[in-house]
Amino acid sequence: MHEMGIASSILEAVRTETAMHTPARARKVGVRLGEMAGIDANSLSFCFDALVKGTDLEPLELAIEPGSTDQLEFAWLELEEP
Amino acid sequence: MTRVPMEGKVLNENEQVAAELRAEFARHGVFAVNLISSPGSGKTALLERTLESFAPGRRVAVLTGDIQTDADAARLAKYGFPVRQITTAGACHLDARMVRRALEGWDLATIDLLFIENVGNLVCPTSYDLGEAKKIVLLSVTEGEEKPLKYPGIFYKSELMVLTKTDLLPYVPFRPEVAIANARSIRPDIEVIQLSCQTKVGFGRWMEWVEAQVLSHA
Repeated sequence: MHEMGIASSILEAVRTETAMHTPARARKVGVRLGEMAGIDANSLSFCFDALVKGTDLEPLELAIEPGSTDQLEFAWLELEEP
Repeated sequence: MTRVPMEGKVLNENEQVAAELRAEFARHGVFAVNLISSPGSGKTALLERTLESFAPGRRVAVLTGDIQTDADAARLAKYGFPVRQITTAGACHLDARMVRRALEGWDLATIDLLFIENVGNLVCPTSYDLGEAKKIVLLSVTEGEEKPLKYPGIFYKSELMVLTKTDLLPYVPFRPEVAIANARSIRPDIEVIQLSCQTKVGFGRWMEWVEAQVLSHA
């Protein structure tokens, strides 16, 4: 179960990226995940939602897109202007 | 709503530390290898036999990862080479920071060969680069032939598959050729060594592989 650590890394990066677009808020983050990355998409989504719940990032969503082989990279971030 | 592109690896921080470690290993001519398998496939046994076969003064060191206990370090320290235990306290894999911390105080210039025994787990260690030159996956014949298909990530990332406990082949239904074909369906160029740490059959090939790697990374 290393998906919790991965979800936590995603949130950290979302915070950093969002800070560069102040005052916009992050609503959805897109991540590319390859089949050989050794990461379970369902488990990652579960951990992501659990970490977001009750924080200022709520209701941030995670979108997992198919990636190549062992890819585990960011793709995009959806921002909402106030 | 606006969508902005976002770049970079999710495990960027780990990747950075791993890249620093890799550069350090290269600078000092250290061949670092990351051993990965399920619990009980024989990582520690393989290291015991390997250390045992080295002459005193051989420039080899071991980092061994476990969730709890320093039992493996105690097993491996008997052979007189530097060994350090990394206890992850719950984490199911080693990461590059743990390796960097464990290496503190060791002079890499005095090491040619560094074995990093990961936590027994075929999934989580796949995602974490430790700065190693190569990953090795161990598969024991008491496990299933289909393991490479069930856990493709680690077989995809490993350059060598060591089939262990081959002395038990007469007693189990495991067909090495099927396991090898499964591994090669994931990674066609994966090297394979079959051995037994009890009878030492096949062990010579393993040592040849290790020595060739040390030479090419010196």
